[in-house]
Parts: sequence; C-alpha cells; structure tokens
Amino acid sequence: MKYIRKYWAIFQITLINSLAYPGELIGRSLMIVPFMWIFYQLWKVTFSAAGTESINGMTLYSTMWYLMMAETIELSRPQLARTISENVKDGSIAYILNKPYNFLLYQFSNSMGETVFRAGMNALFGGLVVWWLVGPPPALQGWTFALLALLGTWIMNFCITCLIGLSAFLVEEVSPFMWIYQKFVFILGGFLIPLDFYPNWLQTIAKSLPFAYMIYGPSKLFVDPSMELLVNVLTMQAVWIAALGAILALSYRRGVTYLTVNGG
Amino acid sequence: MKHLKFLLAIWKANLQSVMEYRVSFLTQVIGMMLNNFIYFAIWLIFFDRFKDVRGWGASEMYVTFGVLASAFGLVSLFFGNAFVLGDIINNGRLDYYLSLPRPVLLHAVASRMITSGLGDFTYGFISYALSGQFTWDGLLRFILAILLAAVVFASFLILVNSLAFWVGIVSSFTNLMINAMLTFGIYPITLFDNYAKLILFTVIPAALMGAVPAEYIRAATWQTLAQLLLGAAILLGLAVTVFRSGLRRYESGSAIQVEV
Repeated sequence: MKYIRKYWAIFQITLINSLAYPGELIGRSLMIVPFMWIFYQLWKVTFSAAGTESINGMTLYSTMWYLMMAETIELSRPQLARTISENVKDGSIAYILNKPYNFLLYQFSNSMGETVFRAGMNALFGGLVVWWLVGPPPALQGWTFALLALLGTWIMNFCITCLIGLSAFLVEEVSPFMWIYQKFVFILGGFLIPLDFYPNWLQTIAKSLPFAYMIYGPSKLFVDPSMELLVNVLTMQAVWIAALGAILALSYRRGVTYLTVNGG
Repeated sequence: MKHLKFLLAIWKANLQSVMEYRVSFLTQVIGMMLNNFIYFAIWLIFFDRFKDVRGWGASEMYVTFGVLASAFGLVSLFFGNAFVLGDIINNGRLDYYLSLPRPVLLHAVASRMITSGLGDFTYGFISYALSGQFTWDGLLRFILAILLAAVVFASFLILVNSLAFWVGIVSSFTNLMINAMLTFGIYPITLFDNYAKLILFTVIPAALMGAVPAEYIRAATWQTLAQLLLGAAILLGLAVTVFRSGLRRYESGSAIQVEV
C-alpha cells in the first residue's frame, strides 16, 4: 500500500503542476477546436457527395463524435519520449535513478498526471464544438466504455513512447522514431479516418497491430458501445500491454547497463 | 547584396553546425521524409474510398501537400528561429542581435537551422513528381510557388510570434496558429464556404501556402500569380512593420551572451 502511495503522490504532484498554468493549459486545449471544425467540413461534404446518411454503419454524427474522442486521446499524449531521451542525453537520468523509486513507474505516474487533466480539457472544448456542429454527445454507456478502454490506451502509449525515449541510450536522435510512431497511430489507429471506412485488407492488418486498440477501440466504443466490442478491445489491450511491458522492462534493464555517469 | 552575403555566411555556419552530428542529421532528414510518406498515405486511403471531394482528388492533394511541405521545409532550414521568435523576445535573447550591426529580425530568424526541414523540402519535390501532373515548366512554377509560399509562412510566423512584445508568453498560441495554418493548408479549399475562405486568405492565410500555390502550379494564370505575389508582399510588409513596432516596446533582459 505504501508502495502505491508513493506513485500516487507523484501523480498528484504532476496533476497539480499542470494546473499551475491555466492559460497554457487552455491555450493548448483550444488546438482541438480548428481540427474538429475542419473535420466537420470534410465529412459533411463527403457524406453529402456519397448521397447517403450512413457509410459502413457510421453517420456524420457518429463520425464526428468518434473523431472528437480520437483527437482527445492524441492531443493529450505527453512528450514522454522527448523527456526521457533528454534525461538520457544530458545525464540528468542519474539524478532520477538514485531516488528510492522505480524509474519506469515514476515516469508512468508522472505522465499520467500530465495526461488526465489535458484529456479532460480537450474533451471539454472538442465536445462543445462537436455538440454545436452535430448535436449532443452519445449516451452514458459510451462514455463509460470509452473511459474503461482509455486506461489501456494510456498504458500502451506509455510503453511505446518510453521505449522510444530509452532508445536514446543507443541513438543520438529519437524524434524521427516519434514522428513515425505518431503516423502509424494516425493511419493504423484510425485517428483521421475511422477504420470502418478502410478496405477490408487494411482493416485486418490494422486490427492485428496495437495502434487500433489505442485510438479506434475507445473511439468506436464511445459512439457504438457494445459488450462484445468492449471485451474484444480490453482483451487485445491486455495482450499488447503484456508484450510491450515485457519488452520495455527488458530494454530498460539493458539500457541502464550502457549508462556511464561521470562526476555529478 | 550586403544582406545576402551576410545571410549566406549565417546559413553556411548553421549547416556546418548541424553537420557536426552527421548520424543525427541523416536520421532527421530521412525520418522526416518517411514521416511525410506515411502521413500522405491517409489521403490515398481517403481518396481510394471516396474518390473526389468537390473536384479534388489524390493528384491535387499530391501537389498541395508537396508545395506546403517544401515551403515549410524551406522556412525550417533557413529561418528556423521564426518558429520560436516569441520565446527569444520573451526571454530577452534579442539583446544579442541588437548589439550587432546587422538587421535584427533577419539575423534573429536566420540564426537556426532545423535539420528535419531538409526532409520536408525534398519530400515536396517527390510529392510533385508523383502527382501525375509533372512537367518541366510546371517544375519552374513549383519552385516559384514554394518561394512565395515560404515568404507567406515565414511572415505569418513572425507576425504571430511578435505578439510576444505585447502579451509575453505566446508559445501555446503560436503552436495553435502553426497547426491551424498547416491543417487548413493541406485540406481541399473546395471544402470551405465563402466566410471560411475569407479567414483562410487573411487571419490564417493557409490558402496562400497550400491551395493558391498549388493552383498556380497546375494551371498558370497571371491572376493566381498576382494573388500569390500580392499576398506574400502584404504579409511580409506587415510582419516587418509589426516586429519593428514591437521592438520599440522591447525591454532588455540584460542577457548579452555568446550565441553558439
């Protein structure tokens, strides 16, 4: 219990820190507004050109709320890879490693503290715009199921970005890995276009990779909640978290052996 | 001419500085090109499914994405500090540039090279070559369009960042504006109604960085060229005027330092 309390305290400190600059927080969260507006323009024209109200089970209403959830997830991701790679490159990791906590759990608590409030603000601003454009949000069940899947999304994202950050033990520059990871999330996660609109072969590929369970899973649960989908998303998230978590733990252990700290 | 020589000297020093870490340089350039390729695949998926958005298809997107990426890359490469000018103003780091007998704005914005910009710049040409609309005279128009779009983008960055003279920290607002400019620039202009188009030609001049240059490349008309030239000239004039007027309010941070 004491063990958990330590990380809970780290989470709380970061959460409070993120509230210290409300202007910055609001400014950053407003970014979702132009994105939602432009998505509305694109999908309104697309649905109108298709001459139908529903494409592969998605309407303009469900597409817009799906995209609101997808944007909320993406825009709330903290810059963890950059932070860790800078810690590794400038040697400040040495000051974190000798503290009485686990480095990975410290980073997780820290990143969650940043994510939670940012996600709330993004959902608020994005939700207001989408509500104004297409109508009220989905029912409570959608919110509940999406929230359950969000935790898995955040853990998976943590594992991948942490791995990218730790690659600074081996390479000078980690940003390209981050850009490419982000683009895989965009395409194979269904971030800009719901996977339902993809050709079948690409849907099959996307659903066999982790990215779909980070964006598509929670967003689809939000607009079209069903117990079957919830079980599927949570199961696949658990499988990927186990795999990615194991790779992360191993990589961290090996990475630390590369570390040379001179003086201090 | 004197300014050009000065700029060339800065760019040479910047290039030597980034080439010091060759692996990092190459990783960033190749990484950015890959990043753009993967990102563009989204549009290919979209147009494969929906074919056409009010007269815009994949071919038009290739050209628009190409000109926007190259213009963005050009500004990143040669005027990298334009992205963070607000932080420079806010942290009192203009002191260094003010203390030297060179144009302050030009010196400040040209003093940093963002390596990944080379990846964007190169990718833009590849995108144009893949568009199916490639012609040799089109390539000349592509180059002219990139230059004018880069002037528009750099001016926009200077304008937005110069707000730091009046309001202090502007990094969130700048990020918001850059994102809006790039997002609106890449989407088909035919999506927007007249009110939205007015915004895209004035407050967020994304049309002058994406749709108008792309239109000029596809079908050269004097009207589109005039539109581009006029837009770039007005924005550049405005950016320089606003920066100079803000500079009068600048308070030194007593932070004269050596910029490496």
